[in-house]
Amino acid sequence: MSNFTGIVEQERYTCAIGALQTVVAIPKAVPILHSGPGCGEMIAGFFERSTGYAGGSTAPCTNFSEKEVVFGGIDRLREIVRNTYRVLDTDLQVIMSGCTGGIVGDDIESLAQEFADEGKPIVAVDTPGFKASNYEAHSIVVNAIVDQYVSLFEEENEPRSESATVNLFASIPYQDPFWKGNLREYKRLLEGLGLKVNILFGPESGGVQEWRTIPRANLNLLVSPWYGKPIVDHLSARYGQPYTWYHRPPIGANQTEEFLMQVVSFALEQGAPIDEKVAAAFIRHESDAYYEEIDSLASFLLEFRYGLPNHVHILHDAGYVASLSRFLLHEVGLVPKEVFITDNTPEKYQDAIREDIASISAKREIPVFFQPDAGKAQDLLRKLHYSGRGLIIGSGWDRDLAQEKGYDFLSAALPSPYRLHLTTNYIGFTGGLRVIEDIYNGVLATYGREATL
Amino acid sequence: MAKEIRQIAIYGKGGIGKSTTTQNLTAGLLEMGKHIMVVGCDPKADSTRLLLGTLAQRTVLDTIRETGDDVALDSIMKTGFRGVKCVESGGPEPGVGCAGRGIITSIGLLEQLGAYTEDLDYVFYDVLGDVVCGGFAMPMREGKAKEIYIVASGEMMALYAANNISKGIAKYARKTGVRLGGIICNSRNVDREIELLRAFAKELNTQLIYFVPRDNVVQRAEINRKTVIEYDPKCKQASEYRALAKAIDENQTFTIPTPMTQERLEEILLEFGLMDAVEEKIYHI
Repeated sequence: MSNFTGIVEQERYTCAIGALQTVVAIPKAVPILHSGPGCGEMIAGFFERSTGYAGGSTAPCTNFSEKEVVFGGIDRLREIVRNTYRVLDTDLQVIMSGCTGGIVGDDIESLAQEFADEGKPIVAVDTPGFKASNYEAHSIVVNAIVDQYVSLFEEENEPRSESATVNLFASIPYQDPFWKGNLREYKRLLEGLGLKVNILFGPESGGVQEWRTIPRANLNLLVSPWYGKPIVDHLSARYGQPYTWYHRPPIGANQTEEFLMQVVSFALEQGAPIDEKVAAAFIRHESDAYYEEIDSLASFLLEFRYGLPNHVHILHDAGYVASLSRFLLHEVGLVPKEVFITDNTPEKYQDAIREDIASISAKREIPVFFQPDAGKAQDLLRKLHYSGRGLIIGSGWDRDLAQEKGYDFLSAALPSPYRLHLTTNYIGFTGGLRVIEDIYNGVLATYGREATL
Repeated sequence: MAKEIRQIAIYGKGGIGKSTTTQNLTAGLLEMGKHIMVVGCDPKADSTRLLLGTLAQRTVLDTIRETGDDVALDSIMKTGFRGVKCVESGGPEPGVGCAGRGIITSIGLLEQLGAYTEDLDYVFYDVLGDVVCGGFAMPMREGKAKEIYIVASGEMMALYAANNISKGIAKYARKTGVRLGGIICNSRNVDREIELLRAFAKELNTQLIYFVPRDNVVQRAEINRKTVIEYDPKCKQASEYRALAKAIDENQTFTIPTPMTQERLEEILLEFGLMDAVEEKIYHI
């Protein structure tokens, strides 16, 4: 974990047990909480509208209380697991321990083994809140599923036996509010290049059947500034799968083209049977469609006389901050001023992220702050003043600040009390266009009502 | 005005003889006509067998596990030698759960049930091993036990443990008023043991309150599930325990211990030849 200590006013992520959303995002997988009931409530409250098949406040929970602390909670857990098999039609159960279970030291792995010995699909992961954040625990959960479940089917899924198949690790389900749309779009784009994609989470995933085939993939793709890195490292060690790493979610044409070309060249290096020309034609086609919209947008941007934002502050995780800053400066003409990375990035990744953001422009320096306490970020923003109309892209918690400063506001991060997320994607060519739509729809909504701003 | 109950916790390295010493000491105080409750704080639940003449006592935690919190006091408290009240906190099965929390739970329950009656002169807590976590420090937290005695011997590990326990006492001393009443030596017949213990106690800013010599009658009494005083009231060891009881009853020296560094502790051991003896022994093998 990073070295951040002290009181945090506005944490925009959760503790390790928040990675139960990683399980919720796998079709027909069920998280089993070995924790107090408050843990599940906290996660359900933080992520909102995130129940999935059996998550949120419907997740089975041992309701750890004093009795379980003193005597251990394994018997209670055994009962809950057994009953869950009776009541729910599940493909995979993932036991996750909270802080109390973790401190008491309940041996959840052995309990999971009891059920695994009966042929039940089950995994146990130690996720006490003090161990990690949910950004980090996402990798811990994925690796546990690989080690305890996927590993059982290795005989019929020979490592790297499908040369055109890739496993993609990108958006963290639910923590990235656009994860569902993003993963769908990644899959569509990568398939356009001629690859077969294990997307693993969400409705486009084949569920646990798809998870079992993870070893078959010829290579892995990591799209993230830091989270998810332990997954591709683990798969590289376990199955010898090499990976290529694109350091931020690609938003807009520049980054998406760069990302797709990186994938094409890496896949070819690894002997994937894809046709470079077909892939290039696909990219060009997608790109043309993008610029067609940018063309028609140009007249609006040039001729709209009632004020458009000229600068932006972003409060988001490292991936979105890096990607949106690059996209907005180069492809939209919005100048990023102070930006805040709120995901408690481990220190060892911070320099690379700083350099990535510094490389956006040789002429403009974008001040970047690693600030897991968004309350402090807001305090700083309150004191800053720039001329012209401004925009804040952040979580719903930043709405009032934007109003206070007379800024436009776009809700794009968690928590998200004022925006519903269904299938919208922010990555890719179409994602970039959607970001543009969202920003200027917000602006146009004030058109004719400027006096109220 | 109601008199204050002297609540005493006995700590010390595992196997040093805490339970044996506590029960024999208690027998001495009982002979003096004192009213006493002994609370065993060890999952093994063997802190009161000599006083009760039997092991089969239902522990507080067994009772909670089986019947929940709605417990009657007489189902967990038994009366033994000369009217002593005995309670065993008990604990989870080895390797599961949190025994420390178990002690917190059971002492809390004893309070709720009104076990601390005004007629008591003494409450003894016989606490397992070292202060391994917050739960095992429970008897000295929240102002329950105000007096601590550490059972030790001239063996190195016993002194390490005693020093460690003193760190726990020093930590709680300011907040709860807990004080160290002294070191009880349960002799192992180590060379120059009494001098070593005196020097150790002095360095720790406390006293060697009593030196209990080694005597096999203690083991014979234990086999018969009795304290020495009950088993053989006239033997020499019985008088030793009576003298220990008197020393504790009359004790006026209560201090905040000054635990020493590992280096200083080893210096003292060297000074009294313990290290030499150990080295020589290794040499001759």
